[in-house]
Amino acid sequence: MKINAMPPCQAKCPIHMDVQGYVAAIARGDVQEADRIIRRTNPFPSVCGRICTRECESVCRRGKSVDEPVAIRALKRFASDSASVGSEVPGPETRFSEKVCIVGAGPAGLTAAHDLALMGYHVTVYESEDEPGGMLTRGIPRYRLPLDLVRSEVDRIRSLGVEIKTGYMLGRDISLQDLQKDFDAVFLGMGSEKSTCPECSGMELSGVWTAVEFLKDVSRGKKFNPGNKVIVIGGGHTAIDAARTCLRLGAKDVTIAYRRTIDEMPAGMDEVEDAREEGVRFEFLTAPEAFEGSGKVEKMRCVRMDLDKSCGGKGKLTCVEDSAFEMEADTIILATGYAPRTEAVQELCTEGGDRLEIKDAAGSTRTPGVFAGGDFVSGPTTVVQAIASGRKAADAVHRYLRGMDQSPEEQEKVLEDLDDDVARLVPEAGRQKPVCLNPGSRVHSFDEVEHVFTPEQARAEEARCLHCSLGAHVSQDCAVCLNCVLVCPYNVPRPGEEKAVIDMSQCQACGICAGQCPASAIDLRLESRTELRQNIRRVLEKAESSSHGEFNFAYVCDFSKFRPGDVQGENVYTINRPGLGRIDVYELLVPFEAGAREVLVSGCGEDDCKFKDCSLWTRRNVQKAARILESIGMDPERLKIVEG
Amino acid sequence: MIVAEVKPMAEIQDTIKKYSKVLISGCGSCVTVCLSGGAQQVEVLASSLRTAAKSQGQQLEVGQETQLRQCDPMFIEQIRDKAAGYEAILSMGCGAGVQTMAETLGNIPVYPALDTVFFGGADGQGGFMETCAACGQCILSRTGGICPVARCAKSLTDGPCGGAQAGNCEVSKDTRCAWQLIYVRLVRLGQVHLLKETTPPKARRVHPARLNRAE
Ligand SMILES: Cc1cc2nc3c(=O)[nH]c(=O)nc-3n(C[C@H](O)[C@H](O)[C@H](O)COP(=O)(O)OP(=O)(O)OC[C@H]3O[C@@H](n4cnc5c(N)ncnc54)[C@H](O)[C@@H]3O)c2cc1C
Ligand code: SF4
Ligand code: SF4
Ligand code: SF4
Ligand code: SF4
Repeated sequence: MKINAMPPCQAKCPIHMDVQGYVAAIARGDVQEADRIIRRTNPFPSVCGRICTRECESVCRRGKSVDEPVAIRALKRFASDSASVGSEVPGPETRFSEKVCIVGAGPAGLTAAHDLALMGYHVTVYESEDEPGGMLTRGIPRYRLPLDLVRSEVDRIRSLGVEIKTGYMLGRDISLQDLQKDFDAVFLGMGSEKSTCPECSGMELSGVWTAVEFLKDVSRGKKFNPGNKVIVIGGGHTAIDAARTCLRLGAKDVTIAYRRTIDEMPAGMDEVEDAREEGVRFEFLTAPEAFEGSGKVEKMRCVRMDLDKSCGGKGKLTCVEDSAFEMEADTIILATGYAPRTEAVQELCTEGGDRLEIKDAAGSTRTPGVFAGGDFVSGPTTVVQAIASGRKAADAVHRYLRGMDQSPEEQEKVLEDLDDDVARLVPEAGRQKPVCLNPGSRVHSFDEVEHVFTPEQARAEEARCLHCSLGAHVSQDCAVCLNCVLVCPYNVPRPGEEKAVIDMSQCQACGICAGQCPASAIDLRLESRTELRQNIRRVLEKAESSSHGEFNFAYVCDFSKFRPGDVQGENVYTINRPGLGRIDVYELLVPFEAGAREVLVSGCGEDDCKFKDCSLWTRRNVQKAARILESIGMDPERLKIVEG
Repeated sequence: MIVAEVKPMAEIQDTIKKYSKVLISGCGSCVTVCLSGGAQQVEVLASSLRTAAKSQGQQLEVGQETQLRQCDPMFIEQIRDKAAGYEAILSMGCGAGVQTMAETLGNIPVYPALDTVFFGGADGQGGFMETCAACGQCILSRTGGICPVARCAKSLTDGPCGGAQAGNCEVSKDTRCAWQLIYVRLVRLGQVHLLKETTPPKARRVHPARLNRAE
């Protein structure tokens, strides 16, 4: 359904994932569909379901106005882990003769390859390492992102016809000129992994490492003994991962030294927390001056820093006088920053500089037909930013090859905040937390730390989404009776000049008004009346034809703990739907018309319902329908509410 | 607006018992607003009748339709062709709607599914109250905006009967005495002196009243 304002979660997501779309599919119990929705914009669901930086959650309207954000990432993981693998990948509709080359098989390059292959291009990827995946296979440790998952996502991309050639390095084995000759367009996604190190003496000592080199070696399976005492310098996720990896390699005392404070750390707070739980210590406002030792590093000399936050930004750092101190170390790992390696593409760089000259958001370079993206352009960012960049580049390549104008910069309209008056009325519900391996034992292996949601957790969490922008709308049939104004538990509808008006940004999509509108003029974007009615007809036809006249029928709320099949008894045919308040009297009666013996309406009940007053209105509708049954000589007990 | 309520099911079933193909026709105006004859009620009645017929082993086909306003032939014309396919029509319009439909369609019987009960205004959620009797000679200017013709059980126009108790009507204990309300309102408006005026006898109206749009 086309909507004219995006929910903030979707707008904030760099690839505008249809969050509520897949959350609603999970609610319906259709994880396969949820996975399909996710894959429409994201070729790495199982990766993003684990390590995405969750920009969506930071703006979730539930978190902003009610209690805590919906655990969107964990729900995505639930969908992608539960969906059966090998679900069909649709091939391209058209095929073009042009060939596109991608350099670098990280998430940026592979996403561009994926999208271009789906558009119908021949895509070849050159990767310098012996395995594709970029930082997904060689940077991010296994305890956060198991390797087989990355491999299976890469295999799916291969199955679209993408050829991945490993062991080819641009600048060493091939040149940009070669590629321009052989291909019609080129995308460069070579990441950002040249370490930028602080100016310290003793860098040459053995035992001093740069984090990405260290993590890469570990991921390649190289045996490492970091000794007992490790100091990691830096504050991003690379620093945290290096520290946690050292614990897993047997280090006893691991400290992260960061020159600013915890508030400025680029790493996510949950990562910091996980590291703390495992025993990593933090020294803030600490900067290295020298690494010392004879041949092998033995200690770090460092100073305390002072951070003046009054000047804005990340603040101004100065050394505190006479604050020098020493820390013992068997290994020192530097995670202090990375820059792209641009030597192989000097002709695309700024005059005399080492940065790529980029002309637009799609990543066009100085040379027509050569595009760049991911960390290679932006410096170190995140997986989802790299995916977004790959998507934009694929679109740009396609437009370039087809002689079309480049896409205009997108400007989404974002749904406004929830009014306090409405937010106050939304029942609170605590956020579900995935189970994690216990910190004491998990540091002895690279086993994945965080578990996927149990089905019960996913159900509870899915029900927390407020379905932003999927609420009610009023059609021309409105008779302006203002019943909706009277019944809405959140006081959203208002009398307008010609008809009732329902503010999309405030509606909670409970559907109560739709069930009470005498003109049937209200519909929900979450599930339209047409969809619902078709569904009812389909199930009733099936019931009639396969049950020989003896069947029961049940409406089951998506947000309750009931699932299709839970409503016990022989010959029960169910319809799952988001909320019960929406079911009108006709919909309660129509199964009897088809010959149902009993009609059950199953939901949480008043205390657990995610919608205010929903069970009240459900009960009223059931009572009305029961009275009608009685009036036509049928037993009203044949219509029942089942709560629990 | 006009307020109506759905007739008892048994009565509706009785009116259509000899037919096997009936069209239910709702109205999108007043009776939609008073929750008795709009699109939603049409669906509910149609389904109820079909279910009842099926459970009694009878053949009954029920069609459904809702016009914007049933009391105008121009809207009825819109369903003339569809109506021709049915043996009878069950109108969910007010009495005026039923008659316009019967008049316009001519050769198909049209039956009421509603009892038209009064003119009134909204009175709480889904509630309505009779507030005007369409007497043709409005006296609201003298009664503080409260109509004793419609709201006094005896339609007294020159003061109360004297039987009210604690402000409630002697005829029906859950109704406020209209004249008590009028008095309180006039006090508030500083117009109690109006009670001294008597209402001239109302001229007996000749039914049906008429109004020409062109005049
Ligand atoms: C330790 C660590 C932890 C991280 N944790 C997270 C996290 O939790 N969440 C998150 O969102 N992000 C995280 N990131 C960041 C994320 O991994 C990167 O932002 C992302 O991988 C960038 O994707 P990319 O495709 O641009 O580059 P990369 O993933 O770096 O891929 C670039 C690819 O190009 C290849 N290449 C380089 N030069 C050449 C050449 N000359 N010829 C051919 N191939 C070449 C490389 O071998 C590599 O495979 C982490 C990064 C690290 C290092
Ligand atoms: S409540 Fe749901 S739709 Fe709204 S911002 Fe949060 S996740 Fe998105
Ligand atoms: S309940 Fe329906 S008909 Fe009445 S005002 Fe609301 S939208 Fe209009
Ligand atoms: S769907 Fe629910 S929240 Fe939205 S306007 Fe209707 S009754 Fe109110
Ligand atoms: S008690 Fe009041 S409202 Fe009732 S009949 Fe008498 S005057 Fe009329």
